Amino acid sequence: MTLYMLLKLPWLPVVCFAAAAYWSFRDRIWISTRWPGPAGVIMSVKRLRRKAEGGKRLALCVAVLGVTCATLARNPGTRAAQTDLPPAAESEHGTQLFRQSCGFCHGPDATGARGPDLVRSPLVAHDVDGNLIGPVIRNGRPDRGMPPLALSDDQIKAIAAFLHDRLQQAIRSAQLPRAYPLERLLTGNAAAGRRYFEGAGGCTACHSVTGDLKGIARKYAPLDLEARMLYPEGSASAVTVTLPSGEKVQGNLEHLDEFVVALRDASGWYRSFSRDRAQVEVRNPLAAHRELLDRITPSDFHDLFAYLETLK
Amino acid sequence: MTLKLNCTELTPAVTARLSSCRTRLLQGDKVIRLLAVPLLLCLPASRLATQGLSPQALLHFSADTWPTYNGDYSGRRFSPLDQINASNVGTLTLAWIYRAHSQPIKSTPLEVNGILYFTTPDNVWAIDARFGHPIWHYHRPSRGDHIGHRGLGMYGDWLYFTTPDAQLVSLNARDGTVRWTIQLADPKLGYFSTMAPLVIRNHVIVGVSGDVTDIPGFLDSIDPETGSLQWRWYTEPQPGEPGSETWPKDSDAIRHGGGMTWMTGTYDPDLNLLYWGTGNPNPVLAGRARPGDNLFTCSIVALNPDSGKLVWAFQPSPHDVHDWDAVETPVLFDAEFKGKPRRLLAQASRNGFFFVLDRATGEHLVTAPFIDVNWASGIDSRGRPIARPELAPRPDGALVEPSSDGATNWLAPSFDPQTGLFYVSARRCFSIFYLTETGKPEGWAGRDRDLWSNSTLRALDYRTGKVVWNHEIGEGESTAGILTTAGHLLFTSDNQGNLLALDPSTSKTLWHLNAGGHMENGPMTYELDGRQYVVMAVEDTLYAFTLPR
Repeated sequence: MTLYMLLKLPWLPVVCFAAAAYWSFRDRIWISTRWPGPAGVIMSVKRLRRKAEGGKRLALCVAVLGVTCATLARNPGTRAAQTDLPPAAESEHGTQLFRQSCGFCHGPDATGARGPDLVRSPLVAHDVDGNLIGPVIRNGRPDRGMPPLALSDDQIKAIAAFLHDRLQQAIRSAQLPRAYPLERLLTGNAAAGRRYFEGAGGCTACHSVTGDLKGIARKYAPLDLEARMLYPEGSASAVTVTLPSGEKVQGNLEHLDEFVVALRDASGWYRSFSRDRAQVEVRNPLAAHRELLDRITPSDFHDLFAYLETLK
Repeated sequence: MTLKLNCTELTPAVTARLSSCRTRLLQGDKVIRLLAVPLLLCLPASRLATQGLSPQALLHFSADTWPTYNGDYSGRRFSPLDQINASNVGTLTLAWIYRAHSQPIKSTPLEVNGILYFTTPDNVWAIDARFGHPIWHYHRPSRGDHIGHRGLGMYGDWLYFTTPDAQLVSLNARDGTVRWTIQLADPKLGYFSTMAPLVIRNHVIVGVSGDVTDIPGFLDSIDPETGSLQWRWYTEPQPGEPGSETWPKDSDAIRHGGGMTWMTGTYDPDLNLLYWGTGNPNPVLAGRARPGDNLFTCSIVALNPDSGKLVWAFQPSPHDVHDWDAVETPVLFDAEFKGKPRRLLAQASRNGFFFVLDRATGEHLVTAPFIDVNWASGIDSRGRPIARPELAPRPDGALVEPSSDGATNWLAPSFDPQTGLFYVSARRCFSIFYLTETGKPEGWAGRDRDLWSNSTLRALDYRTGKVVWNHEIGEGESTAGILTTAGHLLFTSDNQGNLLALDPSTSKTLWHLNAGGHMENGPMTYELDGRQYVVMAVEDTLYAFTLPR
């Protein structure tokens, strides 16, 4: 069964979301049967904000929620029963309708022009499926110069869906988009970046564009490449522990705090030592990157990235 | 029978305290009402029913009580208790463990009349402070942000609890039953609340959270009996009021400017001033729609607690675009500064700078970085860091230290009057700040991506902000608060799950325990029946330590 076929199944997102929500929030009751308004989504988004606050399970739940929403959007038939999230097609229709009927005063993206910003409107935040937006459109607000508009129920629902989608876009702006346009990142000078790579950056001490970095720009999405260029996580530190007897034990660092050092030795076994009887020497392969963070200038940063992006 | 039992259990320490309490009783000191043992001995049986917390009691130290989020109004998190001290901390032992089976505990418990009260989002527990047994548990499922919860306020027999759907619940401290619930703000607009309310006389001071939508921050004073609103102070001034000139005139930016009030403030009873930190402006990472300093976001404000009127303000991060809330505890202490005794206020702020102000006037005295930062090019004539414009969030990314998580955050700092040092759990953290919004910015309008972080405990000289000692606590971002005591101890935790007791003068580690998880609250202490307890939360579990009998 292909992923697409799986996604077409209407029950799948419901089960995924319910399972993820239960898993993440099983210490309290949190089962949403309808679109919870911005607060509900904010709850998820805010979790991503501070790693120390949440952890991976929350991020996964949000990810599952995202997939769920996206899948629901593909399946209008499942929509109303689950989350009231606007399906993409309706929102598309709503976008056109809004621009034609409302955009002149409220701006084509609803962020306000002559008329108020509707993304920040309390009425929109409280609206469900056009139940509050509808009367305003039909009756207008003569005291504020808004004329009544004769739109059908379906048209009003489409406009409401568009406005809810705009609010969600604002809330989702607290996350980095998965696909970030490369052209926005390419503000540096690749030739200058090459000079930095080969010179002041000191990159060639460990890296080679024909060796480990060959085709690096194909390997990573632009945002990931930019982050890894500055600090590539995941490399284990090497450690040497010298015991009072003079014996030296070497391996990959597993744990280090003020009291304990632990390593995995060449034979694959875990060993730990109390630090009050051991001298510890750690060799961090990322030490040069850590030092780079302190000294790289904004222009070197963008030049170097432009250079790495040429390594297709 | 009870009386007899208590008498036989009297230790020399209790006897000594008892006689001092009797003296205070003769002097008419109201603090005796809180002391359980002398209460039993000295007062008629009818008074035994009075178990609550008088607001007057918050004005005086009482060994058997930790009555507010920070333990007292000053926010110093320094306890005069010294039974557990540098000479005996090595023998520290577990008194009890209480597991809440919840998300991590970030609240600092209150302790009143032998009962501990603590929280997580949607949950309040009352447990026996001597033995760790549960007394009651209140659970109220809600929608809204469940990011964390800091604790409670108490007035008389009543507790005050904020919720993820921005309500304030008043509970009966005897049994956790609800007296009333009021709506602080509209959760549909993105408001929620996590903070521990602060009780000042007959005011319950309550703040709000929420910055993924563009909503104004505010601070409420609520009547402790009726729940009615006494005053509301908005972070953004009204157009025409002082501070409004720091917002654009021709837009709605000032009405959507953020500035949440999500941490508990402090209070000076002599000056009758309430001190509060405010959060970041909105839209969070995009400053172009709100040129100006954006007062009173990212500020320390002094308010009159009876009227809610602003007396003075200082802004650690003018025109913030990095989410550096200035909500960290404004710590109050009286100390010498340039040869003169001063009433001081100090904050180690999320932007990486340490500030000292005269808390009577707001006069700026010290600004100094307490950790490496790269975003500031200097300090202006008013003591505010000057931001490097090229390190504002950009579409192609700006490498900034610290990250949006901050050089410190909600983790409680401490000031120890015995050492004269200010302690902060500090982080070195880099991230790349992206401005992603291309139209009118709304909400965050961007995001930063964390690269590397590690953490260190630092002791600062309040007179200069200079680092007196540095104690590394490991890779990652620290989450534990700090407590200092007259026993010449500093309690906190490292990033690997070790609870620590350090010498506050030298940072030497005197005691540690691998407790198997992260501490995310602030340690607190109290003395009951002549025994001092130190309580620390690790994940969802409270650990109470004491000395062996």
